[in-house]
Amino acid sequence: MSAHRPRILVIDDEPQIHRFLSPALDAAGYEPVRADTATEGLREIARRPPEAVVLDLGLPDMDGKQALTQARAFYAGPIVILSARDRELEKIEALDLGADDYVEKPFGVGELLARLRVAMRHHIRSEGAAPVVDLGDLHIDLVKRHVLKAGEPVRLSPKEYDLLAQLVTSGGKVMTHRQLLTAVWGPAHAEDVQYLRVFVGQLRQKLEDDPARPRAILTELGVGYRFGDG
Amino acid sequence: MPAEEEPRRPDPEALLAAANKAGRGRLKVFLGMAPGVGKTYEMLRAGRRRKAEGGDVLIGVVETHGRRETESLLRGMELLPRRPIEYKGHVLEEFDLDAALARKPGLLLVDEYAHSNAPGSRHPKRWQDVEELLDAGIDVWTTLNVQHLESLVEVVLRITGVRQRETVPDSALSRADDIELVDITPDELRQRLAEGKVYLAETAQRAAEHFFKPENLTALRELALRRMALTVDDQLVAAMRERGVAGPWAAGERILVLISGDGTAGALVRAGRRLSDMMMDAPWTVAHIDQPGRGAAGAQSTGRLNEALKLAEQLGGATVVLTGDDLVGTILDYAVHNNVTQIVVGKSHQPRWKTLFRRALTPALIERTAGAALHIVTETSAQPLVRAAPAPGRRPLWWRGHLASVGFVAVAGLLAHLTDRLSDDANLSMIFMLSVLASGLAFGFGPAITAAALAAFVYNFFFLPPQLTLWIGHPTDVLTFLVFFAVAMTTGWLTGRVRDQARETARRASAVTALLAVSRRLSIAATREDAAKALAEHLAAASSAKAAVFLPKDGDIALAAAAPTEEAFSTADMMAARWAWERGEAAGAGTGTLPNLAWTFHPLQGVKARSGVAAVEATLGGEGERFVLALLDQGAVALERAEFAADAADAEALRRSDRLRTALLNSVSHDLRTPLSTVLGSATTLIDYGATLGAKVRRDLLESIREEAERLNRYVGDLLDMSRLEGGALTTRREWTDVREVLGAATARVGRRLGERRLVRDFPDQLSLVKVDPGLLEQALVNILENAVAYSPDGSAIETATYEDRGNVVISVEDEGRGIPTHELERVFEKFRRMEESSDRGKGAGLGLAIAKGFVEAMGGRIAAASPIHDGKGTRILISLRKETATAPGLL
Repeated sequence: MSAHRPRILVIDDEPQIHRFLSPALDAAGYEPVRADTATEGLREIARRPPEAVVLDLGLPDMDGKQALTQARAFYAGPIVILSARDRELEKIEALDLGADDYVEKPFGVGELLARLRVAMRHHIRSEGAAPVVDLGDLHIDLVKRHVLKAGEPVRLSPKEYDLLAQLVTSGGKVMTHRQLLTAVWGPAHAEDVQYLRVFVGQLRQKLEDDPARPRAILTELGVGYRFGDG
Repeated sequence: MPAEEEPRRPDPEALLAAANKAGRGRLKVFLGMAPGVGKTYEMLRAGRRRKAEGGDVLIGVVETHGRRETESLLRGMELLPRRPIEYKGHVLEEFDLDAALARKPGLLLVDEYAHSNAPGSRHPKRWQDVEELLDAGIDVWTTLNVQHLESLVEVVLRITGVRQRETVPDSALSRADDIELVDITPDELRQRLAEGKVYLAETAQRAAEHFFKPENLTALRELALRRMALTVDDQLVAAMRERGVAGPWAAGERILVLISGDGTAGALVRAGRRLSDMMMDAPWTVAHIDQPGRGAAGAQSTGRLNEALKLAEQLGGATVVLTGDDLVGTILDYAVHNNVTQIVVGKSHQPRWKTLFRRALTPALIERTAGAALHIVTETSAQPLVRAAPAPGRRPLWWRGHLASVGFVAVAGLLAHLTDRLSDDANLSMIFMLSVLASGLAFGFGPAITAAALAAFVYNFFFLPPQLTLWIGHPTDVLTFLVFFAVAMTTGWLTGRVRDQARETARRASAVTALLAVSRRLSIAATREDAAKALAEHLAAASSAKAAVFLPKDGDIALAAAAPTEEAFSTADMMAARWAWERGEAAGAGTGTLPNLAWTFHPLQGVKARSGVAAVEATLGGEGERFVLALLDQGAVALERAEFAADAADAEALRRSDRLRTALLNSVSHDLRTPLSTVLGSATTLIDYGATLGAKVRRDLLESIREEAERLNRYVGDLLDMSRLEGGALTTRREWTDVREVLGAATARVGRRLGERRLVRDFPDQLSLVKVDPGLLEQALVNILENAVAYSPDGSAIETATYEDRGNVVISVEDEGRGIPTHELERVFEKFRRMEESSDRGKGAGLGLAIAKGFVEAMGGRIAAASPIHDGKGTRILISLRKETATAPGLL
């Protein structure tokens, strides 16, 4: 990617955010594009689709969720949202509406860049082949449908396997409870978070060295889970 | 830390109890009606429970009187050695007050509150010892029999004929924070007495036989119950004072209005109300004295009486029916007992002959009343306003007893006839006497007199020569007959009265039991909704019909509770309910307003205002109605009390938020400016001298900008959380949560700030899910962890653990820091509480634990702190979350 600098569109109404994000993104090898309102941002996405979008949910001219819905109508690339820590519902809604990931404000630049990388990688990967993942002594092969822990096969129930596969294919991107429940148990169980708790607990017992300190299946409290792919 | 080092974890409940204590200790009294009801046993059992839960319990003094059951409860408990006191050559062993004060336990159990100490002790009475212990901040539990209360000594003497020497002033009981009534039925107690389970001093043996009579026990039981109720009343008064109501508690006037079934009843009730108005709403009670010895009143009289009692309740007075043959004695007894200061009686124009044999009430009252004013209301209109229609079905078959008496006498006659044939000089009169006795015992006073008269006639007519005439031939037979007649009449009268009184006692005992259940339930109702629910259920049970309670809501009234099932009310029903609410009069069935409805709506008249409307789907009469009306009274007061409690809490919250604002300003100026000056200073240094500074210094300045910014962020977060809590804007999103995950997330967030501290986890493999808001729980745990970091040195360990305990999931966070001094322990969860000498890095605004507490409680959980935990060091914070039953995940 040395020749091509990926374009990253930052939609935020705070000039101070642009003031430090622009040089930071530039230094990290991206080409930052600035938009101060949702309308401006959407126009930019339509005109020259960027490699990734950073979208602040608190914009003055349009509700963040509305902006997200509109963007998703014609843009399939990665979108990372910025949101306050105590606004879990907003985050979950945005993720369910198709955002790839979120970063809590205030944030460090390193954290934002890491989320952007994961989201962009996932988008590249989801167009390619089904993955084979190695994480520590864990080997997951979604083609052969087997899981090895320290070289030993791990026996998973069909639901456990489905859940793990969902997390692995999302490639380190956060999956909301609703997304996981709908994918594994069907839309009728979209609210049954306790299923998820039980099965994540079981998976951790089988896959993690120390289930109290998980490394494969990470909790995004109140939001969902992500696969510890990095 | 492995679990075996620490076999018992303290119960959060016990810790909470300790945390709630402020300054003065709390006093709990186990109150009983008589020796032997099991007060000591109950107290020891509760004490053992408290100890098992981790409380610091010491037994100061307990008299087991050698009862095995009670002694077994002492095993394993810490007992304070008694102090020997020499007195007149004897050595008495007494409670050692100084040792108890020196030991300073969390909870001290001291039996027999009314005990008199041996001469030479510091205080003459044990309750004074207790007073000193409470002042020293020690919680005390003690036991007391109701007859030892000073104000009741006279009453008890009258009831039981025993004068109590060991007494406790009433104020010593009023000071109790809790009173627990230890109650068994008089029959059970007598059973225990018979089995020798009740300890009695040798000398008291004979007095005891008199003391433990069922009627005495019933009366004492009622006294104990009333004392309980009085405490509830006091709490109401306290709540009103708290709320700043200068209101009606003037001078403690209490008015008693005496009525009978004559035409003056209504006028008297109204006079009582007027007097109460004049005395700033002084509480007033309308009483009727039921004299079992006088036979039943006529239907007209009963009707008028019920009208008057109903009127009294509508006008906001209490009503009571007292039972006793001694009219004046019963009244004065009640008056003394209830601190009555004003007595209202009527002067009616009774025919002269009626007052000839019985002393007129008014002069007798004038003669014997002490300490209360008498108001005599003269009759204005002798014409009864309401001529009560003979109630259909009332007093059915009154003649049945008389008819049976005739049968008894007939049988006696037959027996006498047979005996007369077998033997010449049998005393036949005795056989007739037997029939009189039987009639009295079985049917009461009236039939007994019938039997006596008839027996005299039959005896004379058939058996005294000349037979088959009413003439008596022999002069000695005349004497025999006269004596027989007199004895028969007396016997009839006596047995009839015994039976009537026994019935009366039984009836009152059952009413007392029922009211006891209600007042217990109502007195624990914390909210208006709870009280409404309890009231609806008891009304339904008492009237054997459906019942409902309406409470005011947004200027109207709305259904708050219904029993036994949910109810739907028609528009007409609601109209009647509103009528009752707005006018304060009953409406619906059996009343003058909308009488076609199935329901009767009664206003719930509290002390200050109406608190709601109760509906009963039945029309009642007699006893049932009186009980229901009493229930309505109690319910109204309970509702009012709940309302006051809520208001008092509001007032307190307002006061606290004022204090908070001041503390907040102080805190903001300090805690916001300190990091800001670092940021500003570092940034300006970099701008002005960046070029000349070495790379290491630049880096250091930048790091400190970051750290201070993070600190500011945390602080702002705290302030936001606090304002969400204070403003009531906190919404919880509770979902099934694995506490281990939340602990993991919280420790990850604290991560970098742990520094050199080791983080130890002790999680079970299996743990129930709890329904909480994971975000709030995480923030609470982050705050607790940050607090642990701030107050513990580098290199120490912080242990997070979670486990299940009796229906709860408990989270514990322990540090090895300096710990918290005991006197500070109860205040660690207060806002802007900050310990001195915390290491600089973690210094927060002192909001962390207050927020943690607020969040945990918002989710229905509880939080407590314990310190020190090992070797005088360390702090442990416990969060306890109630498990709910998750729908079984029947998946796979």
